[in-house]
Amino acid sequence: MVNMYGVYKVYPGNVEALRGVNLNIDKGDFVFIVGPSGSGKSTLLSMIYRGAVPTRGHVLVSGRNIARLRWHEVPMLRRRIGVIFQDYKLLPDRSVYDNVSFALEVIEASPKEIEKKVPQALSMVGLAHKASAMPEELAGGEQQRVAIARAIVNDPLILVADEPTGNLDPDTALDIMDLLCDINLRGTTVVMATHNQVIVDTMRKRVVQLERGMVVRDERWGAYCYEA
Amino acid sequence: MKLRTMRLLSGQAVRSLKKTPSVTSIIVVMACMIVLSSFMLVAVNLTHIGSQFQADVQIRAFLVPDLPSDAVDRVGGAIQGIPGVASVRFVGKDEALQRLGKQLGQDSFFLADLPRNPLPESFDISLTRADVADEVAAATLELDGIRDVRYAPKLVDRLVGVLRILWGVTGAIAALVLVGASLIVSNTIKLTVFARRKEIEIMKLVGATDSFILFPFVLEGIIIGLLGAGGAAAIVYAGYQGVVKWISSVAPFMSVVTDSSRLGLAVIVMLCFGAVVGLIGSNISTKRYLKV
Repeated sequence: MVNMYGVYKVYPGNVEALRGVNLNIDKGDFVFIVGPSGSGKSTLLSMIYRGAVPTRGHVLVSGRNIARLRWHEVPMLRRRIGVIFQDYKLLPDRSVYDNVSFALEVIEASPKEIEKKVPQALSMVGLAHKASAMPEELAGGEQQRVAIARAIVNDPLILVADEPTGNLDPDTALDIMDLLCDINLRGTTVVMATHNQVIVDTMRKRVVQLERGMVVRDERWGAYCYEA
Repeated sequence: MKLRTMRLLSGQAVRSLKKTPSVTSIIVVMACMIVLSSFMLVAVNLTHIGSQFQADVQIRAFLVPDLPSDAVDRVGGAIQGIPGVASVRFVGKDEALQRLGKQLGQDSFFLADLPRNPLPESFDISLTRADVADEVAAATLELDGIRDVRYAPKLVDRLVGVLRILWGVTGAIAALVLVGASLIVSNTIKLTVFARRKEIEIMKLVGATDSFILFPFVLEGIIIGLLGAGGAAAIVYAGYQGVVKWISSVAPFMSVVTDSSRLGLAVIVMLCFGAVVGLIGSNISTKRYLKV
């Protein structure tokens, strides 16, 4: 699903974010990307949805080299990838329903499809009853659920989550993780960057650890830290 | 892009026009277009006067004395074949004398006392354009049977020169207006882009195409350009009608462009120019700030 070969990313000012990363993520995998701030987690995730392109090396998503995608092919790639962030990125002047339907409107889905898919996505995240609420009326966890609904409404192959529990209390964070697990069980590949040790240690999924832009650990059922 | 989507995005563009200080941009674009169109009208009218003058520019080619009539016909045919010649007319000795008599008016009495007609036969050569006068005159003078050619080269050169300068200045103003007005439109669109940056970021993340993201901004720019140009066209058109009336009362001999088809064409050109200004302006801001 995602293959990285010798990936380097150097930002202006000679800042090396990634240094020779090799990584393979299969369909249906659930992968935690862990590591200290500045280790390159967000850069690695952004390459999956082509928010960044490698300075050297190759990133293949569904067999397509993201650096060789033509400009008009990038939106098509992104329609198959859902992305969620720590800060939710919701539109404050639109209702919960409209925030989710927005993702379908901009890819010119038919009204029929929107009417069918948006309630399904809201039910999936447990917010069907708050469809007409505005984001400011929701708690942090609920806002993240709206963001997840928006990310999955178009049935993506991959869900990229950049510290989605970073702003949430422990209980709400675990609720969100349950939701992501459900989505993963339905066949969607989930790649999630996190600093939350409890979550990683509780869930025991694949863990890829980055340090100074390099993969220093890749364990099938790993913990947040090295285990003796 | 689907019709439904275009309707949706057009609505966004119109709503955005109400929110951003687009009225300022429309007024600035209008002011720029008024200056440009005023210059254009002056240039069009001088060209119109010039073209009438050009129609009057003639070369007179004098024949050598006592040329046989078949040779006269041959020379006439040869002149007609020179590029830039619109028409050739033979002027015989008698006609030349009559013409001189008319020109002299009351002083023509002495012509009757002449023992014989001293005037040579000639050809009156009309030109398609005034700026080819030099070439036509030189080519005519080289023909066998032609003794001399006369025309007013300096006057022709001056007219052509003035028209060239005027159109050059109009062109320069058009270029300045294009750059200046585009930047004004670009600044307005930039505000819209900034206000909607979060929305744009999400659009990009969920896979909206570039054309989907750009469409409302480009449309907003084109609307600003069109409204500015339309306003300018209305003001200049009304002002021009007043000027035409004034000229016809104080200088009725002066010919100005009044036919509605040419003025209509000028309005269409202005509207197109305004649309191009909006298109360029919106592209500057969206390309630089959206990086889509």
